Amino acid sequence: MLARHAGKITGIAAALSPVGGLTGCAGMQSALDPAGHEAQELYLLFLGMCAGGAVVFISVVSLLIYAVHHQRRVHSDRVVARLILWGTVTTVAVLTVLLTFSLALWPGLRPVQAEGQPAIEITVTGHQFWWDVRYQTPDGQAVVVAANEVRLPVGERVFLTLESADMIHSFWIPALAGKMDMVPGRSTHLSLLATRPGVFRGPCAEYCGTSHALMAFSAVAMEPAAFTAWLAARRMPSPTAQAAGLQAFLSNGCGGCHTISGTEARGKIGPDLSHVGSRETIGAGILPNTVQSIARFIKEPDTIKPGVRMPSFRMLPDEEIAGIAQYLKGLQ
Amino acid sequence: MMIRWKHVLLAAIAAPLLALLVAWSGVIYIGATGGHWSITNWFLHYVMRQSIATYAIPVEEPEIIDPGLLVPAAGHFQQGCAFCHGAPGEQRSATVMKMLPQPPDLTTVLSTWSDEELFRIVRNGVRYSGMPAWPTQERDDEVWGLVAFLRQMNGMDAETYQTLTQQPASGNQAAGSVAFERALSACAACHNLDGSGRSSVIPILAGQSETYLLNSLHAYADGSRASGYMQTAATLVDRALYAELAAYFAAQTEPAPPPVDAPNDVLELGRRIAEQGLPDKEVPACLSCHGSTRKAAYPSLDGQHRDYLVRQLVLFAEEHRGGTPFNHLMIRPAKGLSEPEREAVAAYFASRRR
Repeated sequence: MLARHAGKITGIAAALSPVGGLTGCAGMQSALDPAGHEAQELYLLFLGMCAGGAVVFISVVSLLIYAVHHQRRVHSDRVVARLILWGTVTTVAVLTVLLTFSLALWPGLRPVQAEGQPAIEITVTGHQFWWDVRYQTPDGQAVVVAANEVRLPVGERVFLTLESADMIHSFWIPALAGKMDMVPGRSTHLSLLATRPGVFRGPCAEYCGTSHALMAFSAVAMEPAAFTAWLAARRMPSPTAQAAGLQAFLSNGCGGCHTISGTEARGKIGPDLSHVGSRETIGAGILPNTVQSIARFIKEPDTIKPGVRMPSFRMLPDEEIAGIAQYLKGLQ
Repeated sequence: MMIRWKHVLLAAIAAPLLALLVAWSGVIYIGATGGHWSITNWFLHYVMRQSIATYAIPVEEPEIIDPGLLVPAAGHFQQGCAFCHGAPGEQRSATVMKMLPQPPDLTTVLSTWSDEELFRIVRNGVRYSGMPAWPTQERDDEVWGLVAFLRQMNGMDAETYQTLTQQPASGNQAAGSVAFERALSACAACHNLDGSGRSSVIPILAGQSETYLLNSLHAYADGSRASGYMQTAATLVDRALYAELAAYFAAQTEPAPPPVDAPNDVLELGRRIAEQGLPDKEVPACLSCHGSTRKAAYPSLDGQHRDYLVRQLVLFAEEHRGGTPFNHLMIRPAKGLSEPEREAVAAYFASRRR
């Protein structure tokens, strides 16, 4: 009988094994392809629970098959007592092992900042439907404001303060750690330790309105030296080559909502656009960062992202929109 | 002969056909000579009075009607209503007197209507009578202005009415065509020849952006900016003259407006909103669009009439403002402002010098 089912059993085993089945789950937004300490722990927990669950499942099904195929005779009281005893012992033992295993992993999943340990502090505020990101520079002197992109150094612990301006959002970079809700009126915390460089994707993980599914950000894990250089560069305004684009940006009033460091645009309502040209995506993780995407977003944000707070500028001539888009893409 | 169901049925089918036949024959007299029979006249008026009284039940009169509305209301009355209803010191033409129904002489009928009923008549018009509805259904404030004017007009002497509605002769100031001079004179009835605006609800046009003025005229004419007064005024002027009118008013020098009567803390709040906005309420700084770097399509608000600015903010917040293709940019900021904040920001802009 075993020989007859050998092919099927091999297939199931392959699907269950991490090597065979889970390589299809790799990618920039996968908890099964961990790139951070917490995600690694979670992955371990997932595998442990799967293995434990598999043991329980196989045992129960085996017992069921045994019971169905057993001769029709009544067990003696002694046999019944033994069955109950060992059944209880086995269940308690398996659950205790799984509980101990998961509890042991617990502290590692929610590490708080150790006293006196220098850490990079980032405050992320969720808005409908984008993310405001503020880096405290290591000297504590300045705050670097960005949006829709979180950068962090590999091998250094990053301490995140999470807030919300309107709805409950949830901050989640599956490849780096578990999720944490962003609740209006209070601060929650999350700590990240990236273990390898890469670009990952973080979706909003709590329904927050019409375009909840279109609210995401990129998380970029960089080598520490590169991160330090990047952060230092962000403290300086980007050199402006496209003076005409800046002029159009200001005269149309874009600066009422958006800030661009080094210009008169100092709005605090929409995402900070300083250095926006160097970001991975446009529109909070939904469009590739190209001049065309930026122009499209300026023209019709309401169709790209229903419920968006930004008004559309489809009444502007295409050349003017293109000029603004080129200027923004040039903010490196 | 017994009348059976069959006969009733046949009559029911035949009667409408007979009616159609009579209509088709053309013997029904629809001329306006001779007037209605007394009973028809009584019945039609009875239906109208009952209908207006019933539909006026939910109408609520505002506690205060801005007295500044009297000037544009008077101008509008002169352009739109006086021809049929007469005006102080003005006789109606023999042609109007031959209308059927004859438009009522307002001096005799006004006292028979309540304010709410007048509001309904002015806003919705009267079917089959030639009385038109207000050009837009989004400006109840203007309709109330006209109702207030009607109350004032009752017993007004001819001289006062003349002063309220006169169209100042342009005196060939701009040396334009006759058509332009006539159009300018009509504009000046409310806006003055120097574009200073005759009352607090009438905007100052002097020194305003030419592009904005031109776009606004087109917006009124298209109906994309709602105003019974201005839609009427704009459509009475040839569109070909809009550019010239916009250029004329943009070129006028604004007379120094009187100082704004507002406490310092109110002006300070207005200044803060204008310069920094209210980020928590998603109100951007007004000056990011209306400041010195503004584009030509955006209006200047400096030194503008305070009441006019407040009214525009209310209309934007209620989504009744419309305007140029840029008008939607103002809806969210206007919704974010509370009433005192609207007042403060309007007072601040009124106090700014161009």
